[in-house]
Parts: sequence; structure tokens; C-alpha cells
Amino acid sequence: MAVIALIDDDSDIVDAISLVLTSKNYNVVTASNADDGYKLVKEKSPDLIILDVMMNEQDDGFFLAQKLRRENVSAPILMLTSVSKSTGMDYRPGEILPVDEFVEKPITPLKLLENVERLLTLKAKE
Amino acid sequence: MISLVPDWAWHYDSFWQAIRRRNLWFIKLRYGAVIMLLFLSFTSEFILDVTFSKVQWEVLILVTLSILIYNIILQYSRRFVKNDHVKFNPLHLSLIQMVLDLYALTLLVYYTGTIESPLYMLFIFHMIIGSMVLPGKIIYSTAFTTIIIFAALTFGEYYNLISHHSINGLLSAPVYNDIKYVIAFVSIFTFVMVMSVILANRIAKQLYKIEQDLFESYDKLKASEAEKQRYIMAVVHEIKSPIAALHSYLDLVLEKYLGPLNDAVEDKLKRARVRSDEAIKLIENVLKISKIRLLDEINKEEIDIKEIICSTISKQITVINTKKIKVSVNDKRTIKKKWLGDKLLLDLAFSNLVGNALKYVDKEGIVHINISGNESELMVAVSDNGIGIPEKDRENIFKDFYRASNIKKEFEGIGLGLSFVKQIVERHKGQIVVESPSKLGNEKNPGCCFTITLPYN
Repeated sequence: MAVIALIDDDSDIVDAISLVLTSKNYNVVTASNADDGYKLVKEKSPDLIILDVMMNEQDDGFFLAQKLRRENVSAPILMLTSVSKSTGMDYRPGEILPVDEFVEKPITPLKLLENVERLLTLKAKE
Repeated sequence: MISLVPDWAWHYDSFWQAIRRRNLWFIKLRYGAVIMLLFLSFTSEFILDVTFSKVQWEVLILVTLSILIYNIILQYSRRFVKNDHVKFNPLHLSLIQMVLDLYALTLLVYYTGTIESPLYMLFIFHMIIGSMVLPGKIIYSTAFTTIIIFAALTFGEYYNLISHHSINGLLSAPVYNDIKYVIAFVSIFTFVMVMSVILANRIAKQLYKIEQDLFESYDKLKASEAEKQRYIMAVVHEIKSPIAALHSYLDLVLEKYLGPLNDAVEDKLKRARVRSDEAIKLIENVLKISKIRLLDEINKEEIDIKEIICSTISKQITVINTKKIKVSVNDKRTIKKKWLGDKLLLDLAFSNLVGNALKYVDKEGIVHINISGNESELMVAVSDNGIGIPEKDRENIFKDFYRASNIKKEFEGIGLGLSFVKQIVERHKGQIVVESPSKLGNEKNPGCCFTITLPYN
């Protein structure tokens, strides 16, 4: 089954999302900061990365995504934000950042699974 | 290019607007001067019983015509002058006007008797006006030049170096050849001229200084407002994180990822989710408002207002179906022009207005949306037959956190929606008005009608 890396500093969000994903038999690996997240991705080469925008430092997630792309990590990235559309700062995927989807928190289980499945199929096609 | 613009001023639009207004005002005044000159030329022979020589006539007519011509050119060309502090700008236009006027005035004064001409007073009047617009150095040197020229002409005439042109019949005896009078006149003229220029220039400077302080305070105020909004955004954003986590857990439990729930527990958890949803909506609204207050600029993209309204309605289809509300959109526009605005903000504004209408109508209520417009503006009216807005509340409903007194507790909300709508409309230089009762209302449900007017430019 697909390996999903989940990188977020909010342990409850990590817990909740992991629960949903493991229930669908995904193999979820987690990290709680950008550095550990980087190591995790390098080590496990996940099929999909779920990344929070702001962890301990603002824009941590942005920088990690950029770093991963520079190092040719091609796994789709689903970015979780808590600003995006509500403030009008809605980035379109790929526009300024090499991520495949932006989703605003809180994300419902249904929407999460939808996005995960879509991105994984997209990756499989490539 | 001579720099005429004070350092602090050039980036203020209102400074340039003031200078432009003054320039236009001078141009209008000059047409008045032309009429006055013509009137005096043709009537003084009858009223004052004076006669002009042939040369005097020629000069009078020629100078008056020249003033008229250069004034027309100035009026036409002022439109093309840009507010650029390094290039030719409205202040240079002011200087050119002043030099041309002084030249014309000097000719008029000389050919009507110099020291004997009552027109010399216009020199002083002219300098005072110039002091209001032009910077110290320029106006002082102009005043100095004018004094030198006037003195040179007077003494030149006294010593017969240049010919004297007195108006025949104005004075009973000539005074230009009386040295005591010439000295006294030139001295007083110099004194009045210098004092007027210094005083007028000082006052103008003080006024500019006050204006500058005002602008600076305004900038500071804007900066502190922005800081406040940034603070609010940061705080609210922090609050959102725990609520988002809470929400995720609720979803998890309610979607039964952790196993079955008994009905009573599920019921209460659903209630908890409704409330946490509310909290998230509130946070998002506060973030939206902070953002709109933080950013001066709005996007300008081509907007199809009807499309925005229809998509708003389709998003609310569940409410419309459950409450069996009759919703109609009527586009009465005969002129369909491109309208530029911020799509995201307008989406929010209309979803608020339409959302309110749907919320406050009874079952099987009516919501009408009318789009109309003319050459210059676009109008959207959202009317319903809901609970309406009591007269005493109408003034306040656009204020933050204000909720009308007839809103029952079961309607969730915090009173930010309309304040938000108003801000969005105002950002687009539009207006919003509310009427209650509306045409759709009846005695029980008066309803209300919000009309938004958006200008095309």
C-alpha cells in the first residue's frame, strides 16, 4: 500500500489524519518538524507528502517543499494551510510553490481521502 | 529643470491636486482680467473723461488679446502636464503663468503712465498670489526683479531716458517728473511689495507645514491601523489552530472511524461540530476583514456580476431546497459594460447578502435579485420577505458586531457580515443602502432590500 509522509507540528492533527489514512490501509509515517520531515522523506521515499505550511517557524513548510523539489523528490505534495482562501491569500498549486494541492484546515476526512486518492492516481499515471 | 516642489510634497496626490486647482483658478481669474481690461479700455473715456493715445490703444488691445491667447493655450495645455516632481509639472506651469502675467502687466503699467498708472497695484496683488504657490527663492527673485524694473522705468522716465505715456486727462498735473514724489512712491512701493511677499510666503509655508503634519499623522495612523490588523490576524490565526484540531477529532468520531456511536452521544457531538464550525467561520470572517483593512489595493479583473450571483445561489442550494425558498435572478440591464473588481471580495459580499436573505425568510419565502444599470453604474438589489430590519437598527446594521434587535437567538451569527459587505462595496467606490419593508414584504414579514451601486470606473 502507498506510503504517505505526514509532516505537521500539531500532534493532534497528525493523530487525526493518521487515523483516517490508516483506516484506509495507507502506510503513514510522521514527523513533527521540517528537519525531521526532510530526513523522513529521504529515508522512506513516500508516494505522497502531506505538509503543513507553518510549523515552528513561519513558512517552514514552504521551504521544505522547495528543498525537496530541488533535490528531485517527485512525490506529490498536499499542503495544509490555515490561511489560504479565507484571507484571499489563495495560492494556486504550482503557481509560486512546487506543491500539487492546497487544502485549508480543518479538512474533513472525506475531503482528505478524496485529495489523497486523486494525487496518488495522478502520480501512478506519470 | 528648476525644482519647484518641496521635498515632502511630491508624493502626495492632494498636493498636486491643490496646485492644479490653483492653476485652474488663476486661468479662470485671467479671463475675468481680460473682461475687466476691455471694459476699462472702452468705458473710461466716457466715465472718467480721459483719452488714450493711438499707441496706448494699440498696446491695450494687443496686451489684452495676448493675455486671452496665452490663457487659452495654458488652459488647453494644463491637461497634458503630469504630476512628476522631476519633469515639467504643474508648478512650472504656475511659474510660466506668473512670468507671462508680469510681462503683460509691466507693459500695461508702462503705457498707462508707470508711476501715474493705477494699475501698479496689480503688481502687489500678483506677488501675493505667486507667494501662495511658488517657493521662497523664486518668488523673492521675481519680486526683486519687478521692483528693479518698476524703479528703472520710473527713474528712466524722470531722467527722460525713455518716453513717458501718461493718460490724457487722468491727472491735473504730471507727477512723473517730480523727484520727491518719485522717490517716495518707489520706496513705499518697494516696502509694500517686500512685506507682502514675505508675509504671504510665510503664511503659505505655515499652511503647507500644517498640511504636511496632517499627512504625516494620517500616514502614521494608517501604519498603526495596519499593525493592529496584522496583530489581529496573528492572534486569530493562532486561535484557529486548536479549533482546527478539535474539528478534525470531531469529524473523526462523527464519521465513525473510531467505531459506532450511540444516538445521544452522536446528537451532542453533532451540536459540538455545529458550534466549532461557527467558531471557524467567525475566525475566517475576522481574517477576511483584517485582510481587507490591511490591503489598500484590490484586484481589478473583469467580473460577470450575474455569474457571481448565480454561483452564490448554487452554493446555497441545500438551504433553498429544505426551506422551499423561491429565488429569482432578474437581469434588467440594457447596457452591458465590462466591470472591473475583485472577484474574491465580491463573491464574499454577495454570499453574505444572499445568505442573509435565505436565513431570515420563513419557509416558502421569496428572494429576488435584480441586476440593473445605466451608462455609469451597475446596481444589484437583493430583496426578500424575511423578518425585515426595525427602523431603529437600520443605521447600525453596517457596524461591526451589530445585530438587529429582532434577530432571534436561533439564528446563529455574530454581526460581521454586513459590515464586511459594506467595506467591500466601498473598496469598489460603491454604495450600499437598505430599505425595510421591501416590496415583497407583508405585515407579518416586512422583508428588506439591499441595493448595491457600483460605478464602472
